[in-house]
Amino acid sequence: MTSSAAPRHASAASSLPAPASSSSAVTRALMTALPYVVLILFTLPILLLYVWLTYSSFFTRMEGLWPTGSFTLENWRFLWAPESVEQLRNKPPIIPLTINTLVFSLATTAVVLLISSMAGYALSRLNFPGRRAFLGSVLLLHSFPSVTLLIATFIVLRRLGLYDQLLGVILVKAAFELPLGIWIMKGFFDTVPWELEMAALVDGAGRITTWWRIVMPLVRPGLLALGLLAFVSGWNEFLLPFVFMPSGSQATLSLLVRSLLGEGRFVDYGVLTAVGLYYVLPILILFLFAQEQLMRIYGGGVKG
Amino acid sequence: MDVRLEKLTRRFGAVTAVDALDLEIKSGELVALLGPSGCGKTTTLLMTAGIYRPTSGAIYFGERRVDQLLPRDRGIGMVFQNYALYPHMTIAENIGFPLSLRRGLPREERDRRVRLVAEQVRVGELLARRPAQLSGGQQQRVALARALVKEPDILLLDEPLSNLDARLRHSMRAEIKRLQKELGITSIFVTHDQLEALSMADRIALMVDGKLAAYGPPDDLYERPANRFVAEFIGNPPMNFLDVEVARSDGRVVARGADDVLVPLAPALADRLALNGAARPVALGIRPEHLTIGPSDMSHARGEVYVVEPMGREQVVDVRIGERTVQVIAPASLAVRVGEPVGLTFDATKLHLFDPAAGQRLG
Repeated sequence: MTSSAAPRHASAASSLPAPASSSSAVTRALMTALPYVVLILFTLPILLLYVWLTYSSFFTRMEGLWPTGSFTLENWRFLWAPESVEQLRNKPPIIPLTINTLVFSLATTAVVLLISSMAGYALSRLNFPGRRAFLGSVLLLHSFPSVTLLIATFIVLRRLGLYDQLLGVILVKAAFELPLGIWIMKGFFDTVPWELEMAALVDGAGRITTWWRIVMPLVRPGLLALGLLAFVSGWNEFLLPFVFMPSGSQATLSLLVRSLLGEGRFVDYGVLTAVGLYYVLPILILFLFAQEQLMRIYGGGVKG
Repeated sequence: MDVRLEKLTRRFGAVTAVDALDLEIKSGELVALLGPSGCGKTTTLLMTAGIYRPTSGAIYFGERRVDQLLPRDRGIGMVFQNYALYPHMTIAENIGFPLSLRRGLPREERDRRVRLVAEQVRVGELLARRPAQLSGGQQQRVALARALVKEPDILLLDEPLSNLDARLRHSMRAEIKRLQKELGITSIFVTHDQLEALSMADRIALMVDGKLAAYGPPDDLYERPANRFVAEFIGNPPMNFLDVEVARSDGRVVARGADDVLVPLAPALADRLALNGAARPVALGIRPEHLTIGPSDMSHARGEVYVVEPMGREQVVDVRIGERTVQVIAPASLAVRVGEPVGLTFDATKLHLFDPAAGQRLG
């Protein structure tokens, strides 16, 4: 990227009719290259980690953290012959775990989207007593670390009979995601002009129809962004399932990865990295496809 | 369908935006709500549309009282200042939106009516596009089509032309008027531009501070303004005002002001003022086009040219009379130089006299 972008700009500068001195062309090329250099410096370590993860899941042996030995699919046999993997023997099977994780993430996302879009709309449009105070306290909740609420949440879940249930953890997770979601959606609703809603009302729509057919499509970029955030956050969630689903029958993938690491006596990096890669793969694919949507977050708004 | 507003009032907190407004609009009429910003004209329109609920008062469409009805039950179409087209829909979907909310209307019928009204406002070839791909004038036409597609009884327009450039504004003015007359639809439009009101409306309702200041055909408002506010607001450049005293002098009735201003009044006007000996102070108003610049020795007032603004067909000349400035519309052919002493002749049949304190018309 750096090497191709810099000369292109330099040549563009030198082809200008005005007598651009060569030193200014070099300065400009450097200015163009600078952001790339900085970004690469910061991205490289992260990128290397992923490369390492991928590599080691396909090799027989690890020399320290360096993969040696020959190429193998051995580490991935948990996919087709899970009972032959020693480390997974006393654990719930991986496919149901994946489904659990998917259900957990999707359900969290659905709850977050539904409540955020309704609450955000109300906070953006309606003037009710306590609106400002509510907005303020929602923000305060967002800055609360969820760890500090674990005991209180535990008591609530026990009372509701939702302790050690996937549904309970979904509700707790959604609740923790909601403050940010409500604020994001309120911001998007704020950008939808009042006149559009007035026009819809005059055109014959009711409030709900207006919300659903006019306002919601216009905040679609916001819904997509929030949905992605919530899904990824749900997929990655470790603490809440770990604390609130101790029996493990409805466990998620993050718990499995952690248990592979935490067995103590001997860690098989081959299997660990294969399972780890399996775990992050959906997120990577999701980002690959959603990149365009994410980039358009601020591109899809309403033009004057 | 005729429209009647009765004692219509809307308060926002401590502010009274519209104050006991009475207004009657005849069926098929195009009425302009004209006034400076903040006078309550848009609030009045939004109450008529059903977006705002009146604090008190009533709105009748024909014999039907509508002020508590939802917008969708009022049979109105509305065009918004920024057009408010739905950005995520095509033009056809935009225009068809009001019809899509009607149950039992077959799709073919909807499409047919969308095409029909689109042809009417000449956006027929744009139906597949999206609002962002249209020019301002085209968006305006689409907004008009969307308001008309459900064949409403009443058409409401909020500053329909203010987002267009000057040239387009001119042609849209004529077009909206033509369409309104063609359809015979009762229409109310809000504007702050008196030229727009004068050129389009059958009647103008001039509002100030939430109240009706004047209501009548444009000619009446222009030629016989009921009070000083109306006289000042309507007309561009605005009417000139001079403080004078009306008195009898040598058997004639004249208006006499500072700096040797001496204007003879038409006998009819003099009679109406019912002078009984004593001189009476009045505010004398005269429109710029009713003043003539001439030689300084034979005229009603003398001054000196201060600013000259050529406008192509004519020129606007500011003349200083003592401490005051009056504006005169003079033919472009008249050669005047800044600083030149000139005389002004007043057209005696076009004088407006107002009470200096209360501001109401005296004659």
